[in-house]
Amino acid sequence: MSAMRPYRRYPATWRWTLVSLLILAIAVAAAFPLVWMVLSSLKTPSESMQVPPVWWPGSPNLNAYAEVADVVNLGRSFINSAFIALVTTSAIVVTSLMAGYAFAKYRFKGRDWLFALLIATMFLPPIVTLIPLYRLTGYLGLNASLLGVVVPNLANAFGIFLMRQYIKGVPDDLIDAARVDGASEFMILFKIVAPSVLPAIAALTLFAFVYHWNSYLWPLTVLQGNTDQYPIVISLSRLLSYNRGAMNTGLVMAGATLAVLPPVILFVFLQRFFVDSIVATGVKG
Amino acid sequence: MTGSQTRSTIGMLAPATGLIAIFVLVPMVLTIGLSFTQWSTQTGFETAAFVGLANFFDLLGSSSIGRDFRAAFGNTAIYTLLSVALILPLSVMLGLLVHQTFAPGGILLRTVLFSTYMVPMIAVALVWSKLYSPTEGPINQMLGWIGIPPQTWLSSPRTALVSIVILNVWQQVGYFTVLAVAGLTQIPRSLYEAALVDGASAWMQFWKITLPLLRNTLLFSAVIAVINAVQVFEPVALITQGGPVNSTNVMTYHIRRVGIERAQGGLGSAMAVTLMLSLIVVIVLLFTLLRDRGEQK
Repeated sequence: MSAMRPYRRYPATWRWTLVSLLILAIAVAAAFPLVWMVLSSLKTPSESMQVPPVWWPGSPNLNAYAEVADVVNLGRSFINSAFIALVTTSAIVVTSLMAGYAFAKYRFKGRDWLFALLIATMFLPPIVTLIPLYRLTGYLGLNASLLGVVVPNLANAFGIFLMRQYIKGVPDDLIDAARVDGASEFMILFKIVAPSVLPAIAALTLFAFVYHWNSYLWPLTVLQGNTDQYPIVISLSRLLSYNRGAMNTGLVMAGATLAVLPPVILFVFLQRFFVDSIVATGVKG
Repeated sequence: MTGSQTRSTIGMLAPATGLIAIFVLVPMVLTIGLSFTQWSTQTGFETAAFVGLANFFDLLGSSSIGRDFRAAFGNTAIYTLLSVALILPLSVMLGLLVHQTFAPGGILLRTVLFSTYMVPMIAVALVWSKLYSPTEGPINQMLGWIGIPPQTWLSSPRTALVSIVILNVWQQVGYFTVLAVAGLTQIPRSLYEAALVDGASAWMQFWKITLPLLRNTLLFSAVIAVINAVQVFEPVALITQGGPVNSTNVMTYHIRRVGIERAQGGLGSAMAVTLMLSLIVVIVLLFTLLRDRGEQK
């Protein structure tokens, strides 16, 4: 990473202090909503309703977390979310590796045309296809079930694009050598190509997991009010309507904190891969 | 190509291409087809009755269908414009702070900004609805400390849409900051060294080197920001339900309400087609305005 060009107008220490303080202030402001969320989840109901608001819980407690588990079927919602996120993510990684490999290393008629068509779908807002898709999954008997959430999301253009970008960098010699040894194309893909693009697989895993853990519009539409199958984000939204009368902010914040944890924890540990893949797809693309 | 090569090409492409064809391309074609029909979403496609351009005339007409649609369209346009106008400059400013290395904290800032991007929009909406609360919310409290009177935020038609823009910018700016940093790392250092020799100030360097060379990054960011902006749904569905007084009724929310909840599939499809055409126009315009036409040295 290149250093910022040194320019001399203020003494270096003065500038150092100014920039450090600015960064700190922005980081604090950006983190504030999440900190507020966690703090509020630890407050008592009366503290949450005080005017002006109390910032620090007087006697931090986890009552809201116990209560939120009673109000919505929290365990079930978490399992549903995990099912949705894990099934879509694993499928996306496999289908993207396969198609990305074909687009990166095979030569066939219409390749660039097909690739462009697939990439164009990346820019399509989901609402544009929502209405017929809802009918289509109805025909397939998938509505009101978790399968309906999952099946239309087992492949996506972003994954193919990301994989193609990385697989292009795998040396052809490596692949040809394996072919001479008589390895099948699937063997080559999963034994040779996949291990050399692990950072891309990590990045795609995280992107897909976070996207599908968080997704709301499609599950809300396809599940048709079948509350047993709701992922955590939809159960959370029901919490707000439950909460509206009671004004029990702590409950909502406890639920929100729990829903935020899986994607944020995943990110904090693996953020390097996110950043690298954004560079790969955003700039080189 | 030999037969086995053809077979492996098809084998590798079939799963992803097939799935995308069935669940994205076919629905896309259906949306266009259905936009010329009257069709209830609760019934099979075969019940769709061809009505020509009637749905589109309704969208342009003076009935409540047209008025509501145009309001939603206008709200989405304002929302998109504000989002892009806030996100692009912020992403460059924050990108510079993350990219610089003479003061500490760049990576910390990136981590904080990007973690907000991981937070489910539903949680963002819930938290901000409390932050914005006119009486129990900390935002008005903090404004009070510096002498600014309490704001209405989500509860007034004048401020609700802007309030949703702000929470969305907060959630998304980390992603665009990382894009900006990626663009900044591509700028050759030698350009700045040469500028320094010529005695150019930091201000001059920013306008003459950094910004022009970020052009492609900013174009990409603008396109993504526009596409993200028309998808805003959760805060509206969860907190405002399009109100107060329709001030936050945006396209994704409106199309879903008409096409799914009211089951007016033909009309909803016509709205979706209009949205898609408008997006294409905006993206083409962005490319024409921002693309590097090679007039730079």
